[in-house]
Amino acid sequence: MEVLRLHNLQKSFGSVRALKSASFTLNEGEVVALLGDNGAGKSTLIKAISGVFPVDRGEIYVRGQKVSIRSTRDAMDLGIETIHQDTSLAPDLSIARNLFLGREPVNLKWLGVFAPLDLANLRDAASALLKRVGISKKLDADALVSTLSGGERQSIAISRAMQFAAKVIILDEPTNNLGVEETHGVLRFVKEVRDAGHSVLLITHNIHHVFQVADRIIVMRHGEIVAEQTVADTDLLTVESIITGADMSALLRETRAK
Amino acid sequence: MPVVRRRSSLIRSPQFSSLVILIVLLAVFAIADANFLSPLNISNMMAFLPELGIIALGMTLLLTAGEFDLSVGAVFGLAPVVVMLLVQNGGFDIGIALLAGLVLCIAIGAINGLIVTKIGISSFLVTLSMLLVVRGAALYITQGFPLKSWDQPGFFVTLLAGSFNIGTFRFYTSLWWFIGLSLLAIYVLRYAKLGNWISAIGSNRNAAVARGVPADAVKIWLFILTSMLAGLAGMISAFRISAASPVAGTGYELEVIAMVVVGGTALTGGRGTILGTIVGALMLRSIRNGIVLIGVPGLAYNIFVGVIILAMLILHALLQKNAARS
Repeated sequence: MEVLRLHNLQKSFGSVRALKSASFTLNEGEVVALLGDNGAGKSTLIKAISGVFPVDRGEIYVRGQKVSIRSTRDAMDLGIETIHQDTSLAPDLSIARNLFLGREPVNLKWLGVFAPLDLANLRDAASALLKRVGISKKLDADALVSTLSGGERQSIAISRAMQFAAKVIILDEPTNNLGVEETHGVLRFVKEVRDAGHSVLLITHNIHHVFQVADRIIVMRHGEIVAEQTVADTDLLTVESIITGADMSALLRETRAK
Repeated sequence: MPVVRRRSSLIRSPQFSSLVILIVLLAVFAIADANFLSPLNISNMMAFLPELGIIALGMTLLLTAGEFDLSVGAVFGLAPVVVMLLVQNGGFDIGIALLAGLVLCIAIGAINGLIVTKIGISSFLVTLSMLLVVRGAALYITQGFPLKSWDQPGFFVTLLAGSFNIGTFRFYTSLWWFIGLSLLAIYVLRYAKLGNWISAIGSNRNAAVARGVPADAVKIWLFILTSMLAGLAGMISAFRISAASPVAGTGYELEVIAMVVVGGTALTGGRGTILGTIVGALMLRSIRNGIVLIGVPGLAYNIFVGVIILAMLILHALLQKNAARS
């Protein structure tokens, strides 16, 4: 079932056409990898979907409904959660406080921003969540995020997205700067997320990771989507050549043949 | 074993080490000079403490959100000067004049906040410029002369600078202001939703924004708050000494920032402690008072103050390194 559909998204910065045209569909319980070299337009596309800036043209549909995403809040409310490398958690806050940042459970709601946090609820919910994602043995909900490893931080950020029942979880370079062990942990976690019914859009430089977790691959170059293939139908060398644009004619023949 | 862990983290926390140092300092001063703990001296310290302490509360919240304000000392000077000019030369009612002073402080804070967040200039540069503008304005409108302050007893004087005796101790109402505002600040920073936002903004602004936290609005309000508290402190001081001087509060910005960081709040944002700031305020006040009593030559005061602040910061840094390693 279709969860997210983009139709002809376009975005320019001054005279630079960062996103010339992007259309694709993301289905329920699917991991789609978005690949491309630096400057291919991946992050522009992600920022447009997650509400960092509006697009110039094009439509976004969530579960078949046309939506307008004008802020990160809009995207979150539509069930689109984006996890950026290094920018998704506040290191000086506890795990529990990070998990609920921006959506804090409070008592006396009428006090607005001065409302007291429901600390018991906060801690319990955080512990339950940590248990559910299988990292409760090691982590205390009151521990500061600054004491966690990079992989643990990614897992916390992904758990947070799952907790708010996100339909679409966008992972922006989730394995950057992680060790081998931790990378495998995060990739395993991505599969669990998918098995729990969430859809994942995975942005990465590492093609090897893509073949481990993704169901489909979308390749961008110069602000356009140049290829879209299921993982089963392709191989590492082909994808690599599409990214760099080494053998365009062969590629075009291949995609047209489909 | 979370209990043990929590206790050891309390001992390692910066406000705890500051408290230990404060107690040691108080003991040293008390042993060196018996007058240090005399009712008169304690009353004196408690008269000065709230004036800088109140500003330090606002500064703590602002620093925790990752910004700071160098214009507080100048606002401390300008607010009472404007109020007194309106009363003495403009013939306004004191209540109206105080309201005008409050509006002025709000405007200064809002300009600081808007320039920092919307144009994206660092708060160091913005508030340094604002310091010059505000101090310059105070000097210009008074032609450099101090004004006689409001000395007729009345509601506002009692509210801001009334005094009362407890035994042989004489306290000013400003102490109640400080205590009340401290409790409010502790509540906001530790227990309220807003406090979570403030810490998150200072810790990782992008993360906070990505979660839908209105980071710019929070910062602008904190600049306004800090400016208002600086103006309030200035009024309290002017009423207490019955004079409004255009140079009052010179250098207070650095003293206040010193109180805040000595208490354990990180200059880089994300980690703020109101309890630490109260300890820091007490510490700087008692150092200034104590070294006079134990006979340090007047011109050498700042050497001692500087060395003690530096020692505190080194201690915090070492403790933090230790915590990171374990």
